[in-house]
Amino acid sequence: MGGYGDIQLLRDDGLRLDGRKVDEMREVEIEAGILPAADGSAWVKHGLNIAVCAVYGPMEAHPRKIQRQDRAVIDVRYNMAPFSTSDRIRPGFNRRSREISKVTAEALESVVLVERYPRSKIRVEIEILAAEAGTRCVGLTAAAVALADAGIPMRDMIVGVAAGKIEGTVVLDLDKAEDNYGQADLPMGILPTTGEIAFLQMDGDLSVEEFNTCLEYNMKAAKEIHAIQIDALKRRYEQKMGGGV
Amino acid sequence: MVALVPSLLRQELANLAEQDQRIDGRGQFESRQITLETNCLYNAEGSAKVTWGDTIIYAGVKFEMRTPWPDRPAEGSLMCSAELRPIAGRKYEPGPPSPESIELSRVVDRGIRESNCIDMSKLCIIPGEKVLGVMIDIHVLSDCGNIFDACALAAIAALRTAMIPAERFDIGEDYPLPISMTPTMSSFTRVGGRYVLDANEEEELGGDERVHITLGDEGHLHSLQKGLRGTLTPAEFAEILEVAQSRCAELAELVNSKEA
Amino acid sequence: MSVSVMGAELRLVAPGEAIGAASGVRAGTGALIQGSEIIATRLGWVQQLNGVLSVDPVNAAYMPRSGDLVIGVVESVRNNLWFADVNGPFNGLLPMSLAPWKVEFGAAREQMDVGDVMLARVQEVDEAHNVVLTMKGVGLRRLKEGVMSKISMNLISRLRGENDQTLRALKEASDCRIIVAENGRVWVDGGPEGTAFMRKVIDLLREQGHMANFSQSLETMMNDAPGGVA
Repeated sequence: MGGYGDIQLLRDDGLRLDGRKVDEMREVEIEAGILPAADGSAWVKHGLNIAVCAVYGPMEAHPRKIQRQDRAVIDVRYNMAPFSTSDRIRPGFNRRSREISKVTAEALESVVLVERYPRSKIRVEIEILAAEAGTRCVGLTAAAVALADAGIPMRDMIVGVAAGKIEGTVVLDLDKAEDNYGQADLPMGILPTTGEIAFLQMDGDLSVEEFNTCLEYNMKAAKEIHAIQIDALKRRYEQKMGGGV
Repeated sequence: MVALVPSLLRQELANLAEQDQRIDGRGQFESRQITLETNCLYNAEGSAKVTWGDTIIYAGVKFEMRTPWPDRPAEGSLMCSAELRPIAGRKYEPGPPSPESIELSRVVDRGIRESNCIDMSKLCIIPGEKVLGVMIDIHVLSDCGNIFDACALAAIAALRTAMIPAERFDIGEDYPLPISMTPTMSSFTRVGGRYVLDANEEEELGGDERVHITLGDEGHLHSLQKGLRGTLTPAEFAEILEVAQSRCAELAELVNSKEA
Repeated sequence: MSVSVMGAELRLVAPGEAIGAASGVRAGTGALIQGSEIIATRLGWVQQLNGVLSVDPVNAAYMPRSGDLVIGVVESVRNNLWFADVNGPFNGLLPMSLAPWKVEFGAAREQMDVGDVMLARVQEVDEAHNVVLTMKGVGLRRLKEGVMSKISMNLISRLRGENDQTLRALKEASDCRIIVAENGRVWVDGGPEGTAFMRKVIDLLREQGHMANFSQSLETMMNDAPGGVA
């Protein structure tokens, strides 16, 4: 990878193109319970990314072949809306989305108490309305909030974060230019209370030391995003408890 | 995608209709509350978000530079598609586009296309070589009744506030999509035996056939569709057409108020 | 901070949040022991009662239990079986042997067809979550009249009130028969004004059921009720 042409991702003052420090995250906003038809839902804005997630379930697992006798199956559909990227995405089967759906489901199955609902499925519908690098992480963050909103039991929340490398420097939370022209990308799904990793992918070139820095950045960012998740959930229900104080 | 209709619901709707009432207290031809937001999607050249009662729709307009269709060498193209993905509701199971989803796409498309609100010849850059393709994608996030009207509204609002990315295509400065009219849709559903405007999800569940009417600026009809099992009389159609005349004009006014 | 009807502060917690030390306390619903702590597994309000720390969830699916009174909607009928949607992850099964009528083999649909609504009880739930329903019991029957609504699980007790006193008051105020089933479905049967009044009550419950001033708002609404003052 390396720098393309005359794009300089790190400025002379050491800051990134959008003014962030190397270990600084983009701004994150979260709202819970925004889709009236769903059992649980969330809206997440992370930088310029926007993800919406709806959870339906638990329900009987159909078709029969996906049903498991001992636990629930988490059925994730991660999808990018045609207008979410600068070049329109044709609707239809998409291999990238299919892969992300699978690993997202597996990450969620590591944190949801699926043994509570044998033979059932829990549908997690993630729609990306605007994409600016890191959509699979935003989807994961949204899914956790939607699952909590739906009352699905989990042993922890899960947060999606990504770190990477640009021009030889490890940075947290790549934006679009950094993702396109950078040298490595490491998205993770982290359980903020225990620090466990439920989602892990990587591409590019990282030394072991660089990887460890990425890990450190991701862990720190996960805690920040976790606080925003909790705040979104509490605001949704605390306003229901309001009045009469 | 077949939802279970409780017998008590149909009875209730019939009883309410007899007393000129609706399940949520609205009048026969009264619509739910609508909000319209435009320029809300970062990567789209035109966009709109509609909340219609509890129904939530996003529409995005994207442009592409393309070669024209051989039989229309000096005209741009228009493509309108609506996606009814599983996020929209519990009853929407995953799979290929259902007939309902395809019908929604095509009915909304016809309403816009047949009104000729976009002069396709104005989208021609170099005849025979380069024309602009307009693509509208409508995304249903929450189906709580009457997604047809909400989708049509989102689509036309996104078009009316769309900017052609001329700079990106290297053909000059960005300019607004030349669109001269605001076609809008009003849908009526037979609930408890009579037609009502803007059915909510319970009314759709316990109701029967529906009629979608798209009207343009002069109150001219640009598209019609009757869906689901049932029939209507010419007198019933005349009644709902009259309601559509005033409703569509109100919707057009709402869209036009959003332009800069 | 939020205040419950009883005046004690209620703490809203999210999954993964620690709610107390594990020593000397048992983990109830919505809670789990993790190492030396008890953590919440659901979004909800912490409750401590008789040495059990639990979380009252804001949202939950209906999980049928033996003995539950449920309102079901028939989804399909086979030779001598009715499958009913009971608002849970799985359908309930009503076998001919537990129906209130004597039915000839193959004539099940004459008694109850797809879409019909029934008042039944959960006879049994096995480990595989198969739910068997029964209609043999006092008051269990096909509901041929009336209207049906759905409320979330955590609002059921709010609608009933302590010792069912809210429910009794509503029945009087609306002059309607009202059944609040364990599966979150509410059945109301009466005149048009009473039914319309109950629809408003349920709308209020959905909007404000979790708020401390719900009882007050409900009382105000009941004063304007067709059946007279509560």
